Amino acid sequence: MTQRETAIPEPYRRSEFSRAWRRFKRYRPGLFGMFFILALIVLATIPDLLSPHSHTQIFRGMRGAPPSWSHPLGFDHIGRDMLSRTIWGSRVALIVGLLATGISVVVGVAVGATSGYLGGRVDAALSRVVDTLMAFPILVLLITLSAVLGPSLVTVVVIIGLTGWAQYARVVRADVLSLREREYTLAARAAGAGDARIIFRHILPNVMGPVIVLASLGIGGIIILESALSFLGLGVQPPTASWGGMLSDGRAFILIYPQIAIAPGVMISLTVLAFNLLGDGLRDALDPRQKDASLDG
Amino acid sequence: MRNGVKLEEALRDLDSTTRREFLKKAAAVGITAAAAQAVLLKEPTVVTAGPSPKRGGTIRILSHQEVASLSPDDIGPTMQWNIITQIHNALVEVNDNFVVERVLASNVQAAKDGSSYTFNLRKGVKFQDGTEFTADDVKYTFEFHMNPDNATVMGVQFKAVDKVETPDKYTVVVKMKEPNAAFLRLGATTFIVPARYHGRIGEKAYKAAPVGTGAFRLREWRPAEFTVVEAFDQHFRGRPNVDFVRQDVVPDPSVRAIALRTGTADSSLWPLLSEDNLRFEADPGYTTFRTSSLAVNHFPLNNEHPILSDKRVRQAMLHAIDRQRQIDDVFRGTASVAHSIFPPALQYWYEKGVKQYPYSVDRARALMEEAGWRMGPGGVRVKDGQRCTFTCAVITGDRARRPQAEIAQQELAAVGIDMRIVERPVATILSQLPRGELDASLFNWTYNGGGGEPDPSATLRVGAARNFSRFKNQRVEELLPAGLREVDPAKRKRIYSEVQKIVAEEVPFLYIMYWDWFVIINKRIKGLPTSTQSGSTIIRDAYKWWIE
Amino acid sequence: MLRYLASRLMQGAIVILLVSVGTFSMMHLIPGDPVDLMVGEAQITQEQLDLIRKKWGFDRPIHEQYLAWIGNMARGDFGQSVVRTGVPVRVMIGEAAVVTAKLNLLAFFISIALALPFGIAAAVRRYSGFDYAVMVSSTLGLALPNFWIGLMLIVLFSLLLGWLPPFGLPSWKGYVLPVAVIVANQTALLARMMRASTIEGIGEDYVRTARAKGLAEGVVVSRHVVRNALLPVITVIGYRIAFLLSGTIVIENVFALPGLGQLFIESVNRVDYQVVQAIVLLLSVLVVLGNLITDLVYGYVDPRIRIG
Repeated sequence: MTQRETAIPEPYRRSEFSRAWRRFKRYRPGLFGMFFILALIVLATIPDLLSPHSHTQIFRGMRGAPPSWSHPLGFDHIGRDMLSRTIWGSRVALIVGLLATGISVVVGVAVGATSGYLGGRVDAALSRVVDTLMAFPILVLLITLSAVLGPSLVTVVVIIGLTGWAQYARVVRADVLSLREREYTLAARAAGAGDARIIFRHILPNVMGPVIVLASLGIGGIIILESALSFLGLGVQPPTASWGGMLSDGRAFILIYPQIAIAPGVMISLTVLAFNLLGDGLRDALDPRQKDASLDG
Repeated sequence: MRNGVKLEEALRDLDSTTRREFLKKAAAVGITAAAAQAVLLKEPTVVTAGPSPKRGGTIRILSHQEVASLSPDDIGPTMQWNIITQIHNALVEVNDNFVVERVLASNVQAAKDGSSYTFNLRKGVKFQDGTEFTADDVKYTFEFHMNPDNATVMGVQFKAVDKVETPDKYTVVVKMKEPNAAFLRLGATTFIVPARYHGRIGEKAYKAAPVGTGAFRLREWRPAEFTVVEAFDQHFRGRPNVDFVRQDVVPDPSVRAIALRTGTADSSLWPLLSEDNLRFEADPGYTTFRTSSLAVNHFPLNNEHPILSDKRVRQAMLHAIDRQRQIDDVFRGTASVAHSIFPPALQYWYEKGVKQYPYSVDRARALMEEAGWRMGPGGVRVKDGQRCTFTCAVITGDRARRPQAEIAQQELAAVGIDMRIVERPVATILSQLPRGELDASLFNWTYNGGGGEPDPSATLRVGAARNFSRFKNQRVEELLPAGLREVDPAKRKRIYSEVQKIVAEEVPFLYIMYWDWFVIINKRIKGLPTSTQSGSTIIRDAYKWWIE
Repeated sequence: MLRYLASRLMQGAIVILLVSVGTFSMMHLIPGDPVDLMVGEAQITQEQLDLIRKKWGFDRPIHEQYLAWIGNMARGDFGQSVVRTGVPVRVMIGEAAVVTAKLNLLAFFISIALALPFGIAAAVRRYSGFDYAVMVSSTLGLALPNFWIGLMLIVLFSLLLGWLPPFGLPSWKGYVLPVAVIVANQTALLARMMRASTIEGIGEDYVRTARAKGLAEGVVVSRHVVRNALLPVITVIGYRIAFLLSGTIVIENVFALPGLGQLFIESVNRVDYQVVQAIVLLLSVLVVLGNLITDLVYGYVDPRIRIG
């Protein structure tokens, strides 16, 4: 190792990582969350291999038929296999959850870093935007935008992604403000590093811990948001299976065919639970100082 | 009156006969068909059977949407109509067997040639503000709608009216510019407002504070929550038995079903799920009326769309869709297959001999081949490098019908047609479709004049506001105006038969089914009719009901 | 201080103006207008429809419509709903806001009463069985979609037990289920926040000092930790004023409550511009004021933060 590199603490060096992993392992619910999500990722990657039937095939005359051996979760209100649809639904949940969070993180980190690093008027202006977005009810914005753009998987992902970045920006900005004045940043600048290099090499890696924690907690909220949108008829379009959409179908039949609402409801709850537990675990492991900030209605 | 035919004698012994029977009787007593058609009238039936009615109580009805206005001009949405009709009356009203009843008019005479209508008014009728109902009120109401500055919805029905005259306090003569066979059913059924009151407060204020001659008057109106009307003591047919009718807004059908089951509500104005309907029908604790809807459940198709403009493609689609399966799988059999724009319930006008499209994948494929569409990659047909694909916009949150689109999507895919489904707000669909800005949609719409009147001009003519499929047919353009001018019902019937045949040949839209309309009423409600043909008007007669 | 206030108000005004332009253009990007819905299945001609549109000013150019609208707004005239013809939007919003406010305030106080003690107790006994129970149940409270809980409660209490009305607000009983659903969600959120900030507080120097002075643990927690831990919680509550609406959109839909959320979503679906615009504008004003007041209060309570 050269001298300059040792002066820069790399946050994810092996020892750091294994220490975090040891802390993470202590929190068993976090482990459960992790394994559940891994299983979910497998489901979402190869649903066609794992589901017993096609998720779009309509079985004639099987509207709302109860569970049987060959169809363990029964049929939905059109006569499609619930188990297969539930498995396929994991794909939409993960796509929306991960992609939208990804967009939010990218935008949020960019805005937060710019705001915190440059300071001054840029900071003041961006902070106002962040405050407004944070405080503005996202669902209201989503409903209006969905009506304008017409609902679809892409719309849902993009809209949720582009409206949900404020919390990341706020956290990153606060961290950047303090990191900007740390010795190693000052040292790097003294060594002649440009702004971009300082931001990408020295500042961003250090703020990723809290961002990861926030993101894992945020994914759950986004999955619920997607299901709420689908519930209001503004979500993913048929025949794609999405838990939110299945739930809102099931809502109409809750008294006659309860199985339609139960399976996706349980899956949404478990998935959100898993992400939250994972987030809790990550928080304790990566950044014990981080405050709780999860799930905005 | 000079041109009029007195029909009193002919009508005296007439009860709820069907139109055909009536016409036979009318012929027997020597009335011309023209006059008979115009004045198919009957006194309101008075319920006297069974135990004597009890006084008091509240009838509780559920609707799915808010009651946005109480003005007779806003009767379009059912939940509004239901309240407005309790508060107001018209000269004549169409009852639940499609028979025109005299209400505020004690007698109606139609000119043989359809050039005028003379209404004798009932005497001693009081408005709810205590003033007397006279010819001035009728003249005021009709002229209000005739004035283009007021831009009323009902204005359309008065397009053919030339002027309204009031020879005396209890007589109204409506002179027509040209004969309009629909006037009696669609124009004369306009609810009458008190001239002085409405003139003073204006239409805008009237929407929130209506005053009519009806059996009930407004007590409390919380549009998004509930509306309550109370018995009007001086109603001309006598004070209604119950004290109040209350209509609550409950958007969710399963919640409405719970409310019916637990007895928190007596009836639901808007349909429940088919399963719930059938369960209530089998339950002796409820009186259930099952009638056919007048509106056809259909997929409007943009007839100017490059793919859908080919008649053979549209016919192929109708062959490809198993309509009975949709009825069985989505609606548990509570509907009947549609064969054209009129339901069998419109007995007199219904034409059986139209071209039919039984479910046949082979015939659908053959028609597609004939139209030049060859099977392409991914199971989607191709022609001249164009894929056979279009988008169907279903109404946002429409849980009842979206499954139909999903089934149709699969059935069309089986013959190589790719139909995508998107959701759009209903306001968007209604305004974009007639402008040709959407490919297709799915909803129910009435392709007749309503109230037993057959005229589909508002939906089938070029440039019509509700021509959702941009249907254009030269022969229909000639037939429809002729049908309105024609006052002889037999000749009219021939015209509308031909229209139905043309629609069945052209398939401007995919007519799927006529829903069975269920009106479910708690057994504690008495005084209900024994049979009915039009479910949507049953609750209108709440003034006859009482609660056990 | 005055200068700060003035500049914040100025910024707020700009935000509100931007929101108004944004909402207005978004609403007008939705094809169609409410006239078609208003007319329903009534027999009508295109000519007559055009007349009705003209009556409502829908035939005027967009910028003219915007200027007319914003001008009216500035004078306190919220316009009229096209669908609920002629009824002033102000009245509609007023009626709906009462329902939403009642629902939320009730839920809010119950949540606080539940969340604070649970959050503090969980923090004090961190990693205990109790802590796990609080964390897991609060995570569940956040993980279960509220419309799903709502439906399950309807099935249980209205259908199976018959204790409570399934819809509407016929009496106080109508509030029980919707409030319970909101409480489940909010208590979970607040309890987690309270726990987190209490844990942070316990680690602070002055708490350690207090403890070193020999104060009883109960006194330390109640006097030093909780008071400071409340601060961030209060802030979040202040910032979340506008969330009150979005939290109840779905609930009002499930329970058929005539609140702001229901009014909003119905108006969007009906493309009832005036109502949607007014609600969004009202919200943005609330948000700006809420943020400002929260900042001021925060600065007042916590002298470490200087305003200016």
